[in-house]
Amino acid sequence: MQPSCLEHVVAEFDITGVGVWSSHFPDWAAFCRGLNSGVWSYGADLDPDVIPARERRRAPASVKMAVEVMDQACRMAEMDPENVASVFASAMGDMKITDSMCRTLAVHPELVSPTQFHNSVHNAPLGYWSIAMGSHAPATAVAAHHFSASIAMLEAAVQCFEESAPVLLVVQEGDAPLALEGSCKSDHPLAVGLLFTPAGTTSKCMARVGFTVKPNEIAWPSLPAGLADSYSGNPSGKMLALLAVLAQHSSPETGSSPHGVLEFPLGQHTSLNLEIRSAEPGRTP
Amino acid sequence: MALSPPPVDTEEDPIHEFSIEQTLTVILATYDHSAYKIDVSVVKHRAIEPARGTRGEPVELVVDCYTATSAAGVGLSALWASIRNRQSGLSWQDLAGSDLGTWVGRVSALDESPLAPTLQHLESRCNRLAWLGLQQDGFLSRMKQITARLGAHRVGALIGTSTSSIGRTEEAYTRLDASGRMTVPYCQPDVHHMHSPGTFVVEATGIAGPAMTISTACSSGAKVFAAAARWIRHGLVDAVLVGGVDSLCFSTLYGFRSLQLVSSEPCRPFDRRRDGISIGEAAGFAVLMRGDLAPGAEHAFLGSGESSDAYHMSHPHPEGKGAVLAMKKALERSSLSGDDIDYVNLHGTASKANDLIETLALAQCVGRATLASSTKGWTGHTLGAAGMLEAIIVLESIRTGLVPGTLNCEQPEDSLHFPILSENTERLVRRAMTNSFGFGGNNATLVFGARGG
Repeated sequence: MQPSCLEHVVAEFDITGVGVWSSHFPDWAAFCRGLNSGVWSYGADLDPDVIPARERRRAPASVKMAVEVMDQACRMAEMDPENVASVFASAMGDMKITDSMCRTLAVHPELVSPTQFHNSVHNAPLGYWSIAMGSHAPATAVAAHHFSASIAMLEAAVQCFEESAPVLLVVQEGDAPLALEGSCKSDHPLAVGLLFTPAGTTSKCMARVGFTVKPNEIAWPSLPAGLADSYSGNPSGKMLALLAVLAQHSSPETGSSPHGVLEFPLGQHTSLNLEIRSAEPGRTP
Repeated sequence: MALSPPPVDTEEDPIHEFSIEQTLTVILATYDHSAYKIDVSVVKHRAIEPARGTRGEPVELVVDCYTATSAAGVGLSALWASIRNRQSGLSWQDLAGSDLGTWVGRVSALDESPLAPTLQHLESRCNRLAWLGLQQDGFLSRMKQITARLGAHRVGALIGTSTSSIGRTEEAYTRLDASGRMTVPYCQPDVHHMHSPGTFVVEATGIAGPAMTISTACSSGAKVFAAAARWIRHGLVDAVLVGGVDSLCFSTLYGFRSLQLVSSEPCRPFDRRRDGISIGEAAGFAVLMRGDLAPGAEHAFLGSGESSDAYHMSHPHPEGKGAVLAMKKALERSSLSGDDIDYVNLHGTASKANDLIETLALAQCVGRATLASSTKGWTGHTLGAAGMLEAIIVLESIRTGLVPGTLNCEQPEDSLHFPILSENTERLVRRAMTNSFGFGGNNATLVFGARGG
């Protein structure tokens, strides 16, 4: 089969909001500053107050990370999240809960708590988010092990394009306990939120992205200098390559130097090709 | 960009060399789905044109083949015989190491169903169940035909699961070494993560298109159809192996117990004496495909609706708001009204809250002539596999005209807002719907129909 067989109509979406949280950069502004200076500030503990108090008491760290970056992305885009569909990706889900539940089940299974159990579902962050925002929009939680970040970007892009509606993507991973290190070598938690909107539908466009899928085996794009050591083992760390291109766009020094092409493997046989450029706000292609 | 679909030359199509009538005759005569086992000695590589589905352009989507394995039977014939004979698959819970007093939908054949030698590095109860399921009804050989014909890159995989291979991880935790690391034989990097069944299915079938696991608790196995439809419409792939796999494990048994949602008896959906769910396990698979590439397929996928309750992590919205949204959206996308639906396979878990609220929502969405039932009395609640298993039951109802009446519903609750079918009923089913609702208030409704019906 010829490689061209997989290429299809160039579909596009706009990135209109970004959120990011890790111990190195608590938000997008800090991430951009760090990229320029090479110096990373260290964030404080997370307790996003957009989660209602009743729910926040029960919300685990994985939920707080996700909600934080989803909220950041919506605020940047000035987008009311009520009608925005969401896609959540994590290779492992909440590893702290998995670790703690499996330890309990190994010794005293009857001591598993109701809160621990309902927080253990993969879509828990989207459940809390929908409750916090009063959003009845569709919510999809996905995973593809090492390829979770790239497959989630593809899923969010396809949803945005096919449903002609905005999609809030969150890709994250916590730090792995010893027992789960074999499957995930993540040692620095990271969450990245991106708001995808149909091309040319808002005035808040950071970048226009054309996406295609190709039948080839490629390597991951490299991570920004200074972050590779901390995030190369974290499946969501792959998102930092995209954030670096976006940061370059939004940087006042470089102005609008709009072009970047990134290729992410989707598995062993296919890749996601993103062609990133700046877009005039509100202009349809 | 509007590209017209490539013409389909059915004479050159080695898989669909039978007419619909001939295929139906074969199926009805043998009732063992031998139509899926047509020997294809020569499979031609046919160039598939790229990219037709663009936004707004309708693309017919059909179900090319399907299979299901649950406590109610390994393979479709066994499942349908159980349903026809009203023989429940539920049994007293006897998993090693647990004395939890409840009934479960356990696939007992799993103990004697090892993985193929080349797949044994992926050992887990979940993957064993997937493997047993893939081998029924000629599904695996059918998959090989499809990937050979379309090209492995043109076939994707979307698997729904709530717990993946967590049962294997639980076992590994009972044998950690002194430092807290996993020990042999549990050092399986490709098993202890959420995409384990997706990884397994890709390895077992040789699919080379995009592959993803969807895990939205008990709606997972339904949402794969919605996602697969988008992938195909977009032109990303021409066919998607959609699946739902969930196996019995301590996490869900003790987790649902902690929420006081587990019944001590076989579950009784919609019955006034119902007191909780019976947890089950199942593997169901189907191939969703562009209609022009599967002229012999009998079932059309008509539409889906996805929504969120925005109410509570583990309790449904008291007015069924998310359920109504999902059903109404699915009807709208299918271009149907509620009166057009002949049968609804309900989520119907036998929890106090779900069953009452689901009938409240249903009454707002379908007509009074619509038949509605739950099949969880046969299979238990198979969680992330339920959406797929029940989609397959709906497809079989359309094919056979047998609508399952709710098993164990002997005294329907008085306050139900919609009548629940208790007895098996023969009825021409042209269009049918299935509901799946999960934790986090995550809802999905699917609509299928007889093709051309």
